[in-house]
Amino acid sequence: MVVAAACFEGRVVTRKPSAGSLAEVSGRGALVAEFVESWRGLEGDAWIVRGGRDEVRRTIVEAARIMVEDGGPGAHRRVLAWATADLAALELSGLIAEQGWEHVAWPSGPGGATGAIGPEGPAAASAAPTAAGADPTPADLVALAAASDLGITTCAWAVAETGTIALYATPATGRLPSLLPTAHLALVRPSQVVKSVPDGLRLLADYMAREGGPPSAVNLVSGPSRSADIEGDLAVGVHGPRRAGVIIGEW
Amino acid sequence: MPGELPPAAASWPERRRHALADPAMRAAVAKSTRSLTAKKEAVFAAYPAAEAMRTRAVIARRGSLARVDALLDELTCQVEARGGHVVRAAGPADVGHYVLDVARRRGVQRVVKSKSMATEEIALNEQLENAGLHVRETDLGEYIIQLAGERPAHILVPASHKTRQQVRALFDREAAACAVDPPAGDATPELTAFARRQLRADFLAADMGISGGNFLVAETGTLVLITNEGNGRMTTSLPRVHVAVVGIDKIVATWADLADLLQQPALSGTGQRLSTYTTFITGPRRDGELDGPEEFHLVLLDNGRHELLGTEFADVLACIRCGACLNVCPVFRTIGGQAYGSMYSGPIGVVLTPLLGGLERAPELPKSACALCYACADACPMEIDLPRHILALRRTEVERGMEPWTDRLTFELWGRFWASPAGFRFTGRIARLGQRVYVRDGRLKGAPGLVGGWTATRNAPPLAREPFHEWWSRRRASRAGS
Repeated sequence: MVVAAACFEGRVVTRKPSAGSLAEVSGRGALVAEFVESWRGLEGDAWIVRGGRDEVRRTIVEAARIMVEDGGPGAHRRVLAWATADLAALELSGLIAEQGWEHVAWPSGPGGATGAIGPEGPAAASAAPTAAGADPTPADLVALAAASDLGITTCAWAVAETGTIALYATPATGRLPSLLPTAHLALVRPSQVVKSVPDGLRLLADYMAREGGPPSAVNLVSGPSRSADIEGDLAVGVHGPRRAGVIIGEW
Repeated sequence: MPGELPPAAASWPERRRHALADPAMRAAVAKSTRSLTAKKEAVFAAYPAAEAMRTRAVIARRGSLARVDALLDELTCQVEARGGHVVRAAGPADVGHYVLDVARRRGVQRVVKSKSMATEEIALNEQLENAGLHVRETDLGEYIIQLAGERPAHILVPASHKTRQQVRALFDREAAACAVDPPAGDATPELTAFARRQLRADFLAADMGISGGNFLVAETGTLVLITNEGNGRMTTSLPRVHVAVVGIDKIVATWADLADLLQQPALSGTGQRLSTYTTFITGPRRDGELDGPEEFHLVLLDNGRHELLGTEFADVLACIRCGACLNVCPVFRTIGGQAYGSMYSGPIGVVLTPLLGGLERAPELPKSACALCYACADACPMEIDLPRHILALRRTEVERGMEPWTDRLTFELWGRFWASPAGFRFTGRIARLGQRVYVRDGRLKGAPGLVGGWTATRNAPPLAREPFHEWWSRRRASRAGS
């Protein structure tokens, strides 16, 4: 179930759920609540989903409609999404096509995919359709990502007290979908939320011990791009995504 | 080896006069410094874990600096093992040569930069532009400063001295030069939208990205880059070649050390719990990856840092460039950053500029740009004893005979007279005679020399007609007589 959304100063926020309803989401209810509060405090959008796969799919569509601007009926939208095993169950390509939008799956690379990075480490990539048929070049992907309205990813872990998600760069989990599209939406499982940054870095240390080192890039993202360079006035969306959203739920 | 910093644009009296005569700049600086200080205080008050983390971070930072050479070797091995290149640069020319060499080899025309104090320090943009490269600063504040042809006025918010009207004028000029639409107005979202559009085009066209680095983790050869805008991510993800220019002081031994340090720049700099984007970069793009740079080069900049190890000034190397000392400094709040004539302004600049660039480069900073109020010592999250260093630099200046002969003569005579009661009384008598023509409405006004400078903006009472020691003698004499 999506907690009722309300518009507040041009930002969509969801009403703060009671601790009781969150406890039903998972045993980590308090951490999830703190994460959502921190994320919203940073001008990010957040949805908590309690109903499993179908509700998560419905919420993705709702989030996309809210986060992507100029969305009149029939408007063309391009959604660039990771195509990892973790996301396969959501069948994003069908879901996005149903809305009449273009779905582009992040290709897992010519060297073969090693897949999504969850708390359990790399998993096999799904056989989801990839961009533009045969092997797109990195330059193609930059152009494609820059012309995308929404990027959809998962994350490796999230931090409650700072409102942060961690994205590991691997062949299947590229950097661009969370960077160049106008908006970025990350799917977070309640079990991925930890209390503090050092707690999250301990999960990264586990990954390093397993894989023999860190990924080529790890990005900790705490809300949308911001700047206070003009008279100390907060400006959101200078470079990175103008809007950053998270959906917390199981699928 | 001592370092080298670009010279100041103008003399100290000129810079000072210029700053004091700019009320718009002074108002903007006063506003931004107070707001950042209030935010810092608020985050530490509301976030109990922050203070304990900060204390551990100080220990981690100093522990790493104590064995910087071994850690740099470890870092180098790790970066190279992951396909990156590492080079040690003694000073500005070494960095310029190396970067230009890479640029030539890879056919680089266009460079994007994310904010980096290290590259400001070595005037890298100038070196690259002189060689014909197009260089674009991409931090919003740095972009504004680059369009204005100025140098950053604050470590963290480089354009904090600019008003939105000034920013709009710069953007209008740039729009005309590029034949694109100017910003729709001077509201923040309109100015931001203009910068986003312009800079996005620069990012997509760039062949090389140059970044600084907030920390280096020796055990895995990882570069840590912290930004709020995301330009650091763009700079290090999009161009084919990524060059990071990082001071050797940024090194930490382990990820455990980093865990305590990572939030400190945000906590003390902007009052955030963590900056919006924190990026850990370990080598270039790997096999199978479709994005990220093909080449990763790490330039380790010395420029006078190594020489500070083991001296009484070694703790300045622990600086994390958060800007907290600038924000609390009464001198910085009054004159802004540009008056310092260095990329490092405020209390840390007063210390770091002469330590890296030589005392002759900026003798006026320790001498004149500090009121010894100790606010910076309280504000520094890394517990750097800035006032003690400023006093030590002043002492060094006197020992080297660097002060002007007029100062030397003044203080020598003053010391000689006031070393004896007779001399002290004599100067009092002279002053009481001399002040007569300058006392108006019971206040000292317009006296010559140093006294005039002092009384121009202050109400100084005249010396008493009868000083205490004369009154005391008279009283004792009259008591003895009664």
